[in-house]
This record gives sequence, structure tokens and C-alpha cells, in this order.
Amino acid sequence: MRRLLIIGLSLTCAIVFPASRAGASNSAASSLHGTVTFWNAYSPDEQKVIETQVIPAFEKKYPGVSVKNLTIPYNGMFDKLITAAAGGTGPDVVRSDIIWVPQLANINALQPLDKYSWFPSVQKQVFKGNLFTNYFKGHYYGLPLDTNTRVLFYSKPMFKAAGISGAPATTQQFAADCAKIKAALGSGKYCYAEGGFGGWNLLPWIWTYGGSLTNKSYTKASGYMNSKATLAAVNFLLSLYKKGELSPNILGGGIGTWDGFGKEYAMILDGPWTVAGLLNNQYPSSTYGAALVPKGPGGSHSVVGGEDIVMMRQSRNKAADAAFVQFMLSKQAQTMMGKIGQMPVLASLVRSSAFPGYYSVFQKQLKTAEPRTPSPAWARIDDVFSTTLENVFRGNAPTSTALNSAAHTIDGLLK
Amino acid sequence: MTYQKLAFKALIYLLLVGGALIMIMPFVYLISTAFTPNAFVLQLPPPIIPPHATIQNFIDVWTTENFGRYFFNSTVVATCSTALTVLFSSMLAFAFARYSFPGKNLLFYSMLMTLMLPTLILIIPQFVLAKHLHLLNSLQGLIIVYSAGIPLNVFLLRGFFEDIPRDLMDAAHVDGASIWTMYWRIMMPLARPAIAAVTIFSFLANWDEFTWALTSISDSNLYTLPIGLELFQQQNSNNYGLVFAGSLIAVVPVIVVFIIFQRQFIKGVMASAVKG
Amino acid sequence: MRSQTLESPEPAVGQLAAIPGQTRKRRQLRLRRLLPIYLFILPATAIFLTWTIYPLADALVMSFYHWNLLTPSVFVGLNNYQRALSDPIFWQALRNGVMYTVISVPGQMVLGLAAALLLDQQIRFRAFFRTLYYLPVITSWVVVSLTFLYLYNGQVGPINYLLHDVLHIIPSYIFFLGDPNTALPSIATVNIWKGIGWTAVIYLAGLQSIPQEVYEAAMVDGAGRWQRFMKITIPLLRPTVLFLVVMLVIGSFNTFIQVYIMTNGGPLHSTETVLTYMYRNAFSSLDLGYGAAISYLFTLMLFVITMTEIRLLRRRYEY
Repeated sequence: MRRLLIIGLSLTCAIVFPASRAGASNSAASSLHGTVTFWNAYSPDEQKVIETQVIPAFEKKYPGVSVKNLTIPYNGMFDKLITAAAGGTGPDVVRSDIIWVPQLANINALQPLDKYSWFPSVQKQVFKGNLFTNYFKGHYYGLPLDTNTRVLFYSKPMFKAAGISGAPATTQQFAADCAKIKAALGSGKYCYAEGGFGGWNLLPWIWTYGGSLTNKSYTKASGYMNSKATLAAVNFLLSLYKKGELSPNILGGGIGTWDGFGKEYAMILDGPWTVAGLLNNQYPSSTYGAALVPKGPGGSHSVVGGEDIVMMRQSRNKAADAAFVQFMLSKQAQTMMGKIGQMPVLASLVRSSAFPGYYSVFQKQLKTAEPRTPSPAWARIDDVFSTTLENVFRGNAPTSTALNSAAHTIDGLLK
Repeated sequence: MTYQKLAFKALIYLLLVGGALIMIMPFVYLISTAFTPNAFVLQLPPPIIPPHATIQNFIDVWTTENFGRYFFNSTVVATCSTALTVLFSSMLAFAFARYSFPGKNLLFYSMLMTLMLPTLILIIPQFVLAKHLHLLNSLQGLIIVYSAGIPLNVFLLRGFFEDIPRDLMDAAHVDGASIWTMYWRIMMPLARPAIAAVTIFSFLANWDEFTWALTSISDSNLYTLPIGLELFQQQNSNNYGLVFAGSLIAVVPVIVVFIIFQRQFIKGVMASAVKG
Repeated sequence: MRSQTLESPEPAVGQLAAIPGQTRKRRQLRLRRLLPIYLFILPATAIFLTWTIYPLADALVMSFYHWNLLTPSVFVGLNNYQRALSDPIFWQALRNGVMYTVISVPGQMVLGLAAALLLDQQIRFRAFFRTLYYLPVITSWVVVSLTFLYLYNGQVGPINYLLHDVLHIIPSYIFFLGDPNTALPSIATVNIWKGIGWTAVIYLAGLQSIPQEVYEAAMVDGAGRWQRFMKITIPLLRPTVLFLVVMLVIGSFNTFIQVYIMTNGGPLHSTETVLTYMYRNAFSSLDLGYGAAISYLFTLMLFVITMTEIRLLRRRYEY
């Protein structure tokens, strides 16, 4: 009996060993062969398109190459990528958030693409501004893949209940609408919700008030992070919070912006994926609208987001990777992903009628949208930024003191 | 019984039940939410009896969310690594208990010292080492790394082995038995309860291991249940119905094993304290 | 207490020593005796040396470098240590570690003793209750953390509901994991909840090792329930208490998974532990040298703490 147990055990373990090999090597044969492991943080809808349309189309074109798609939640993706790169177990091609690219390039994890013969022709087809997010110390370490920004989503039923006819066009209107909503809908309902204190969350407001994080050449924060305009923007948000109009979930631990939109929250800032997301949560399009960020003293500014497509230096099958990268930037793939909310980066597709109508709001907002600081230290800068503002909201420090010390710290990080 | 004794007994029961309620209340919500369709989760008042109870969450999680795969991975890894660690630990413990050799005390006390360190403290150099030994991102890598949970088992088993009467062993020894024979044919059958306890503890630890798997596994097909569960929660942060259905899948085998082997378990825990 | 060990049959050493030229033979015999033993312990020892001792040494070496695994390492001497000692987050993490210990260890000790005393009584369904109390112990930290993420939710969580709407203990809902003042105690409470069962079982072992005769003798002398408890139970539980304190403190400094999943050190590093900080430095910032330095400082401190504990408590025990 015992012997049987032992034999069974050994057999199970022995079988597992060859079968569970994950890192099978690819031979880079002259005609394209092998596997390309592709990591991304697509939403479930986007994942569906990539897996059922884009990748099969690519594999049809290159029968010898198979693409292994891994969609990871955004929250843990950067850490996983870094750890996997360090351990040599990383993917081949990554759809990376634009703000990670300088840092990844700085630690030598990415393959520079500008030395490839096909690069110049692709380079000509994409938006210059998005291409710049891949630039680091003289080389391009990737290509833009999709772009996006945040616009104002508002709940029509909640507006109606508060007696508001349309989206606020200016920050003053915004404040007035918030007061109305508070008065009409009572406690537990908020006019605006934001998911956190990061640059992605709050920089639109700072820019809209005419403030900024750094100067135009991204070398200095003093005089900008702690400028009067930035101070005004922060105090504006702080007053909304104190009046109970900005949801306390910004501090964490409550109901997320998506989960509460239309129920607890009347307005949120979010990107094009929201449309598909809201549809999934059974929100007919008649119940919400999208508008530009309300205009402030500095105009209406939002934040540039998007993803770049990069190739990992460790990849052993760079020829196949290059084919995949080029395919993702083809009109075919960009159109497929464009229909589901991934705004394309090809200049030739800007006026295409293939894309959903709501793109027009985003494209208009993108005209005045600003990028976050392109620096390998962005993660740390963002950390200082969000910690500072969180401290202000928690009442640990008065706004101007906090901003002054933040500016000083960020100066050091920008060196 | 006198009135005083009755009141005392009633108080004991009251406190016990009250305490037990606090202990299991989280489980009640866990189970209830797992059977609740997502549209009704995150409501006030939080439901104890699930409204519109359904098993759809379990079906979804097992199939579309790949938990079946994770369950398989966890089973294989936990079983194999437990077998290895129990084997190796008991061999070493036997040698400590019954043999003398140069370096014995040094080895034993250095193992004891490392028990005082938090297990995670060495994860950075271990990661680098695993990278060079190609143990990352594979199930066999996990099995080998998990089987390194040796010091604690050695410590516990040595105590048991020392207490086993020596007559049988002395007799076999005079007959010229080799160390392997002594161990396998004589000591192991005698030490069955201790081995059982150590096996159960190791299995649970390996089944639940999280941090090393999180750090070393990149391929989603190789996720074990703890990792799959955590990454799943990040993706579906408010779909607690699905998350808890997955959690139950991860936790029910453990509870079943515990309930079946309860007595050995508790005896093992108590004995480990006495040895300490 | 060292048990007697076995030696392979060999000629009495004394006889051989008397004969000149026999030293080599003695050595050969010794080797023949030892070789099987060394082979026998080889797997376990090899794994221990490779996976524990080598990394321990490697971490020390690594702490003197700046390295991210993808570019060549740079020697920086004591720079990482200086940085750690002047890093406010490192000190915050240490303070947090102490706070976790101060809250969770006495909590488990007291409540565990209470549970053990209850379970030690002559009651029916004793095994059933014991199982219920032990369930949290065998549930994995991942599942426990995910469950409490829901329970502690600041807008729809059951704990808020019970404390506010049912028991009317708190005036308004608390963002347990989102407020820097409540986050750490909230996690420490989970530590307590999860550990009571184990602590209780250890106490039960200690309680059951007290011979019944001692109690009976005391009862004959007229000692009441409370007196018996204070004069007999508590003093004779000393070794159990010592064991528990050492183990629980070690366990408390092992806190990682629950913090990683529930708050990842936030909000504002109020739940950060040295382990989470070390992990993030190593695997999110790829600053391996710094992570190694932090881990070494922490190891030294823990070593000192544990040694001090044992010495202090041992002295009080031996009277």
C-alpha cells in the first residue's frame, strides 16, 4: 500500500517536470518562426478583440509565428514586468504605459528600435508627440500604440434631479453645479469623484488653473509646483472636499469611481474605455454624456495618456517581435482596436469614419492635453506629488508649505 | 448541580459561543458573498443569506477564469514539494537524533538560528540565485524551492525521534543494518504520527505559499491558487462574488484536510510547543 | 538532553592506538563509519546550505553594491546603510513593526488564554468548538486578506455596518484601511483574529501538562477557583508563555502578505513594514543593494530582540 503511494507520487511529479516547461526556447530561423509573448493590460473587451481579431490576423499573415497573449491587471503590471525582466523570465513585446518607458529604458530592459531598417517608415506615420514618449538619451525605445486622455463624464439622471441642464463649461460653473447637487441629492451622493492623488488624477485641474508641475523643459519644479496657480487649483479641490462635494474615496477604501458613477457620483474624469465599460454595466448611452474638462484660468487641459509598444532586450526572437510590432501599427490592427476604444496613433486615421462618434470629444481634448513629466524618475516624482496632496487633504500640512517642500524634493529627482 | 455551578456553566457556554461567532463571522460573509450574483454584492445591509443565491460564480471562476488550471498547479506543486521536504527533513532529523558526526552541532544550531529569521528576509539573494539556476517561472522550480522548508521540520522531528524507544533500533543495529534501513524500515513506521503531522503542516504551507510564487512566476498558465486569486482580485476589485468563489475553491481542500486529520493536527501543534 | 547515539561496530580504539602505524587505519575506519551518514544527510544539508546559508552571505555582499540585475553592479561601500539609517520610511517601518507586535502579541496571548480556559472545561462539543476557533489559523493569509478587504470597506463593509447600524458603537462609518490612524490597528486586529486558535491550542497543551493532583491538593487545602488559577495555573504556565512570546513576536515581524494585499504599506506608509519596504525596493524599483541592506539591518535588530527576550524571560522563570 505504502509502496503504491510512493510510486504514484513519483510518477505524478516526474510527469509534471517536462510538461510544465514554460520557457521553451525559440529558434530564430531565417523564415519567421517561434512564439512572441505579448503582455498588456487591456480591459476585457479590448482583450477579446486582440485575441479574436488582431492576433489571428497576424498569425494568418505569418503562419510560422504564434503570439501568446497575457492580459494582466494594470495595477500590478509594472511590478510584474520589472521583476520578470530582472529574472530573465519576461515577455517579448509589451504594451507599456507611456510613463514607464523612460524608466524601463534607463535600466536597460528595452531594445532600441531606431536602429532597425523598418523604423523610419513607421516613424513617419505616427503622431510626433506620442512618438516622443519613447525617446530616451538619444534613442527611441518603442513606438506609440494608442493614445487617450480624460474627459468629463456626467450622469444625466443625477443632473436632472439637481436641476442642471448640461455639462459645466467653466470651473466656476463646475463649483456651482456641485453646490446644486449637494443641495438636491443629499449626503452619500457626491458631485465629483476621483480615484487618487496621482498626476494622472489631478494634473488636469492644475493645468486648467494655469499651474504646472515643472517648467516646459522638465528640469525644474520650483516656481511651478508651488506657483500661485497650482496653489489655487489645489485649494479649489480641497474646498470641494471639505464641503462634502468631492467623494472621500479619493483617500482610499471606498467605492471606486466606475462602481459609483451614476449612483453616488455625478461626474468623473475618465478615458475612452469608459464607454465600453459603462455599456457593460448596463448604462444605456442616454444616461450619461461626455464633455471637455471645464475651462479654468489656464484653459481646458487634460492629461495625455496612452501606451507604447516596446520590445524587451531579453527577447530571443527579435525578428518575429519586429513583425508583430509593425503589424500592431498597421492600419488594419489600429482600426480593429480603434473600434473598441483604443484611439489610434496613425495620422492617416484621424478623420476615419470607422470610429465611434464619442472619439470627437477625446480628439478635441487631446489638442490641448499635456503629457506628464517624461523622466526615468517619474514613479518617484508621482509618489512625492500624490503623497504631498494626500497630506494636504488629510490636514497634515497647509497647502503652500506642502507644495514648497514638494517642489524642492522634485527638483532633486529631476536632476 | 447547584445553582452556582449551573450559572458558571452557562457563562462558559455563552462566552464560547460568542467567541466562536466572532471567529467564524468573516467566513459567513465569505460564503454568503460567493453565492451572490455580482449585481447584489456591495450592498447595505451586507447580506448574510445570499439574495438570489447562485453557483454561477463558481462556474465562471473555474472555467473562464482558469482556476481549474491553478488548482491543478497548486496540487502538483504542494504534493511533490511536501513529499520531498518530509523525506529530506526526516532523514536529517533521524541522523541528528541517533548518530554523531563532526559538524553535527554546528549544523543543528545554525538551522535553529535561521528559524528566528523572517522567511522573506532572504528573498532578494534567493531570487538572484534562482535566476542563475533557472528555477524561475516553472513548476519544477517552485517544487524545488518549496522543498527547502527544512529547518522547522527537522527541529520537530528530531524531538519525536529522540523519544522513540531504542530497543528495536539497537537490535537491528547489532545485526549490521545500514543507516537507510534503520531509517526506512524501523524508524519511519514507528514515527508515523509525527510524520503525519509534519506532512500536514508542510502541505498547508506549500499550498498557501504566496510571496515566492508571486515573485518567480510570470506565465499565467503556471499560477498557483494564491497568486491566481490575488491577481484576480486586482482585476475584479469589486466583483467580490467571483473573488470569494475563487477563495472558497482555494480554501475548502485545506479545511477538509484539517477536519479529517484534526486530531493528528492538534496533537502535532501541541507537541511542537512542548519540544520548544 | 543528548540521547545516546549509535556507532558502527569497530574495534575498541584503545587497542589500535597501542599498535604503531595504526593511526591511518583508524582514520579509514572512521571515514567508513561517517561516509554513509554524510551521504544520508546530504540532500537536506545541501538544500539548507544553498538556499539559506549562501543567500545569507550573498545578501551581505549585495548590500555593498548598487545593482538592478540588468546593468553591471556598482560598488558603493556603506552608502546603502547610510541611506537606510537616514531614510524616514525605514524608521517608520520599524516603528510600525513594533506597533504590530505591541498590539497583536498581547492580544493573542490574552484572548488565546481565555479561549483555552473555556475550551479546557468539561463541556460538550469541545472538539467542535476547538475546530471553529482553529479555522482562521488554517485559512491562508491570501484568503483572509481578501475577506477583510471586503469586511473593512468604508462604504459598504459589514464591520462598519455592525458597529454603526447594529451596535451603535461608532458615530459614522470609518475608512478602516484608508485612514492612516486606523489602518495599522485594523491589520493588527486581523493578526489577532487569525492567531487566537493557535495560541489557545498551545495553552491547552500547557494546561493539560499540569497534573491534576496539584489542583486536588489545593482544593483539599480550601483554595477557591480564583486562587487555584492565580497560584497554580499561571506560574506553571510560564514555559508556555515564554514559548508563545518568542514565537508570536517572530510571527509578528513576519507580517507581509496581509499588508501587501490590503494596503501595500499605505496609506502614507502607515502600515509599511520593513519586509514590504524591502520587497518594494527590490522588485518595484530594482534597487537590490538597498533592499539587501535593509534586510540585513532588520535581521540584526531581530536577532538582538529575540536574544534579549529569551534572556529576560528565562531569568524570571528560574527562581
